[in-house]
Amino acid sequence: MNMKNRIQTKKVIANTFFTIAVTAIVIFCMFPFLQIISVSLKDVQDMSNPSLIPSKIHLDSYKEILGFKPMNTSQDAAINKILENPNLTDTQREVLFEKYEKKNPFPFPRYMLNSFIVAMAASLFSLTLSVFAAYALARLEFRGQTILKRGTLFVYLLGGVILMVPLYQMGASLGFTKTPAGTFIYIIMIYIMQTLPLALYMLGNYFRGLSRSIEEAALIDGCSRIEIIIKIVVPLSRPVLITVFVYCFIIAWNEYLYASVFLKPFEDLRTLSIALQELFHSKNSIWDRIMAASTLTLTPVILFFFALSKNMVSGLSDGGVKG
Amino acid sequence: MAAGLAKRNEEKMAWILLGPAVIIVGLLIAYPTVLNFVLSFYDVRLDGSKTFVGFENFKNLLTNPDYYLSIWTTVIFLIGSVAGSTLLGLGTALLLNRKFPGQNLVRTLIILPYFAPVISMVFGWQFIFDPVNGIFNFVFADKLHLIRPDTNLIGDPQTSMWVLIAFTTWKYFPITYLLILSRLQLVDKNLYEAAEIDGANVFQRFSRITLPEISFVLGTTILLRLIWNLNRFEDIYLLSPQIKTLSVFTYEQAFTGVIDQGLAAAAAFIQLALAGVGIVYYIKKVLKW
Repeated sequence: MNMKNRIQTKKVIANTFFTIAVTAIVIFCMFPFLQIISVSLKDVQDMSNPSLIPSKIHLDSYKEILGFKPMNTSQDAAINKILENPNLTDTQREVLFEKYEKKNPFPFPRYMLNSFIVAMAASLFSLTLSVFAAYALARLEFRGQTILKRGTLFVYLLGGVILMVPLYQMGASLGFTKTPAGTFIYIIMIYIMQTLPLALYMLGNYFRGLSRSIEEAALIDGCSRIEIIIKIVVPLSRPVLITVFVYCFIIAWNEYLYASVFLKPFEDLRTLSIALQELFHSKNSIWDRIMAASTLTLTPVILFFFALSKNMVSGLSDGGVKG
Repeated sequence: MAAGLAKRNEEKMAWILLGPAVIIVGLLIAYPTVLNFVLSFYDVRLDGSKTFVGFENFKNLLTNPDYYLSIWTTVIFLIGSVAGSTLLGLGTALLLNRKFPGQNLVRTLIILPYFAPVISMVFGWQFIFDPVNGIFNFVFADKLHLIRPDTNLIGDPQTSMWVLIAFTTWKYFPITYLLILSRLQLVDKNLYEAAEIDGANVFQRFSRITLPEISFVLGTTILLRLIWNLNRFEDIYLLSPQIKTLSVFTYEQAFTGVIDQGLAAAAAFIQLALAGVGIVYYIKKVLKW
């Protein structure tokens, strides 16, 4: 009886320790997210309140960021002062007014759309190219296979800094970086390059694990390899294709280095990562606005993540890690 | 004869399927890697004009005290961030290697930092350590009086490295945790039962059973983390740009202040050579296709 009690107490202590440790880890992981969301909902006066729960929910920063409410900036005050200058003629005043009034200092929806287009285009291309290439790597025999596989893996482990100078020089000498359209295409190509090795590796491994028997039957029936890929392999691989697509999308959505190298000269092309950094260093930098913009930048990633959480987690152990 | 023909057809098919991907990899990865090497021997201007200067860039680089400082900074960053993410990842994996209520939710939440965009998360971290509004100073200065109220942990070059190490640990331990956990789940449970009957305590069970089983995966995650953190850029530059690791040094040479892209190419080449050794080893020993 005594022995049983001792074991019971030991179990209770172990369970309590376990619960505390797990809670601590989860809080450690979640705290920065909660901090961002909390500040985005706080009023400026409420900022130094250490509680995560705002004393009053304040949505103005979201309205300002999304353009439903004009941003009050220190710039406005300066312009109003200039406009009040009695020496100005009416036409001068009008020109100045036009120039400053029309321009939203931080067109966040535009940046979000840019990020979305770039990430969508890059990941769709990457996925499509890698379905065919990964099939060839997994199923067909050809000379140069080993070099090709190893080369892919080599790049899969490389960071962006290593290729930054040559890619910049190539973009400049080929004329891509001179025009907005060229720059936009070039950055999408760079994101394809960044996501392709990961997609190739994950899909290649997955295709190798698929049973060959259906494909062999189809070959005997006279199907071509391309028909096999489209009609058999792709439908069988739908979950992994979605996972790979989301990984690629997130890599491109989060990317900062190349965006800062290529997109800074073109204000209309900026993606969220550089736009947020600009906002932070600009006169419009107020914590609640920054956090509202950060929350909106996080949202698609979190939505994808929870919608597909099971695949997202298991895919990482199958090679979906980049960085 | 027919078999040879089939084989040749197969090879042709393979190249058709591979073509677009190979072109992208060749033009945007293989060629730039070679070009980077070539450019490191030139004086390169932003507009694309260049003059051959031989080993000048390497000479300038290796006589630049800032370069050695950045190597030293990188070493400290690597030791701290790799140790942090490995220890926390290992601890978490050992802790969570059992069934418990809510396990799916917990496992999902732990992975989230890895996917979150760096640009958003650095603001969260900067706010936590903000001298005026941050919770860190509120707790440690205002309440516990352990640090001075004007402490600026991220802004102060003396302490910003600690925050950076904490940040990269937070962001990348989920990967280590996940890879170790998936290996732990393959370990035969009977081994532990047998050891327990033989009277082995927790530490003996860890060092005699768990550690040998996971040592390979542990070694490879450490190697991977070293390679990736060596090439890490945005986490450092966006959280605390005054920390000049090799990647930040190279970026600043290439695009800010007095621009010297040839020097940056030389620095990138040396970094590639350093990472390359680890990468080649990793590909040959670990990754399987």
